[in-house]
Amino acid sequence: MSTGMRASPGWRVLKAAVIALAIAWSIGPIVLMILASLRPPREIFDPAAAMLFTPSLESYRALFRQWPDFFAGVANSGIVTIFATALAVLASALAGYAYSRLRTRAMAMSAFGLVFLRLIPPIVTTLPLFPIVNWLRLNDTHLILILLYATFFVSLGTMVMRTFMDQIPVEIDEAALVDGASHAQLIRRIMLPLAAQGMVAVAVFVIVFAWNEFLFAFIFTTKAAKTAPLVLAEMTGAVDGVDWGVLFAAASLHLLPVLAFVVLAQRHLVEGLTAGATKG
Amino acid sequence: MTGSAGLGASAGIGATPLLGARGAAVLLAPTWLLVLALLVLPACYVFWLSLHQSSFGQSPSFVGAANYVAVLSDRYFWRALLNTLIIVAVVVHVEMLIGLGIALLFADGVPWKPVLMAAMLAPYAVSEVGAVVIWRYLVDPEIGSLTKLLAAVGLGPIEWGVTPWHGLAVISLISIWLHLPFTFVILYAARLALPLEVYEAARVDGATRWQQLRRITLPLLKPAIAVAMLFRYIFAFRLFSEVWLMTQGGPARSTEVVALYLYVEAFRYNRFGVATATGWIMVMVSALVAVVYLRRVYREMFAARAEGVA
Repeated sequence: MSTGMRASPGWRVLKAAVIALAIAWSIGPIVLMILASLRPPREIFDPAAAMLFTPSLESYRALFRQWPDFFAGVANSGIVTIFATALAVLASALAGYAYSRLRTRAMAMSAFGLVFLRLIPPIVTTLPLFPIVNWLRLNDTHLILILLYATFFVSLGTMVMRTFMDQIPVEIDEAALVDGASHAQLIRRIMLPLAAQGMVAVAVFVIVFAWNEFLFAFIFTTKAAKTAPLVLAEMTGAVDGVDWGVLFAAASLHLLPVLAFVVLAQRHLVEGLTAGATKG
Repeated sequence: MTGSAGLGASAGIGATPLLGARGAAVLLAPTWLLVLALLVLPACYVFWLSLHQSSFGQSPSFVGAANYVAVLSDRYFWRALLNTLIIVAVVVHVEMLIGLGIALLFADGVPWKPVLMAAMLAPYAVSEVGAVVIWRYLVDPEIGSLTKLLAAVGLGPIEWGVTPWHGLAVISLISIWLHLPFTFVILYAARLALPLEVYEAARVDGATRWQQLRRITLPLLKPAIAVAMLFRYIFAFRLFSEVWLMTQGGPARSTEVVALYLYVEAFRYNRFGVATATGWIMVMVSALVAVVYLRRVYREMFAARAEGVA
């Protein structure tokens, strides 16, 4: 892991300082916002307010009272995230198995195609989809967001799953097929459980993306399926001045579950990025 | 790192195929149905629409390249393109530099690694909306921590709503902050995958830390850096939410980026033809970078395979 150099004191101090700066840059803004959400609202924008303060849940109580929309948004985000993740992980696992086990020129081309198509900017597809989605009465539904979110992650997901499937020896497939298992049984009973780690890695990406996504939600939902980021944006755009305490409380509540999740799943995140993000 | 990730890894080759073409087609169906229906068909349809004059709900008529002429002669488009190019150049390169530096320091060994790693990854969990909320607080002219920091070194407040380049600078900062974890992790993983023996040999030869960096680490990391960079170019080019939530492209359309230009042309000014032409221009630009990207990826995989044989 280390380059094996003996570290001089100067180097060690420099390294510690740079890392401390990087950490402050990374989590400082988040910490400041969470602290602000716990301040008595009147103090937030008071330049004379003391550094130290007694935590108050006033902003959170105000959020509960004034923004039932936010909690409806969180529920919508939850539903969309769960189903988009399930769909993307399942589709990716099946495709990943196919790309791992059938190595023909056509399959290689098709895998390249999948990576290439993923590079189409999402906003471009909203133009033709907007009238079609309206015509199909899919606007403002969970379904359209679920399908769109899954679509933009099946490519990365498939590549990650293929990498994980590649690590499972083909002898296992052969043995199962010789024993008379069908492909469906082989995939369901053996491959998916063995590639569970890869599925978790894919799930991490989709969960973080779907929970936070703004553009598609902004264009395709208005009321019934409005997700939490959209309600947050509404709060920032309030004409009669933004209620910052409430906004910080809402943004903190929206962030905390997914932040905890990223911290817990960091190993999978790193694995997944290594396996799929920059690889074909 | 790339050994088993390559397209040409050896699973199944030489043996009787485990999976027939028909079986593969069934397994690929869900993925490709989604991609075809919601990505490929819309993208093709955008191209068709860009050659026609239409608005929502009206029947289109063929106008050839007129929409493209309209886009290319619109100064707001050029302003948006210039803004985008500046932001992409600044964001991606700053991200690469900082990400690489921190990745190498982490690879050199840090105490409490899971904790520090979690801290470095934290912004990855933040939504674009959340990031804009946080940064608007940080650059608040009265109370913002960044404003105070700047004041301490004698710089005035950031007037992101008034001065266009201040707005673009804050948008770039937000974008770097949000995406640094991604770049950092990619480069960190790439660095860890470098063979230890090279470093041992260098140490035996008495190479200094600086020499190791110049002669070993950077050359060996070059392919990974190039791939990560191209990938980030493509994704930074789509920038929309941060700009929309920060400035909405204002004041006076001066901080628009290409994706935002497309959005307002379509949904605010009802110039659907102009928007679709912009959309197809975005696809072409992305495709151009993507071709370079995929060639890089392909070459890297090919090199990895050759290494595996040797």
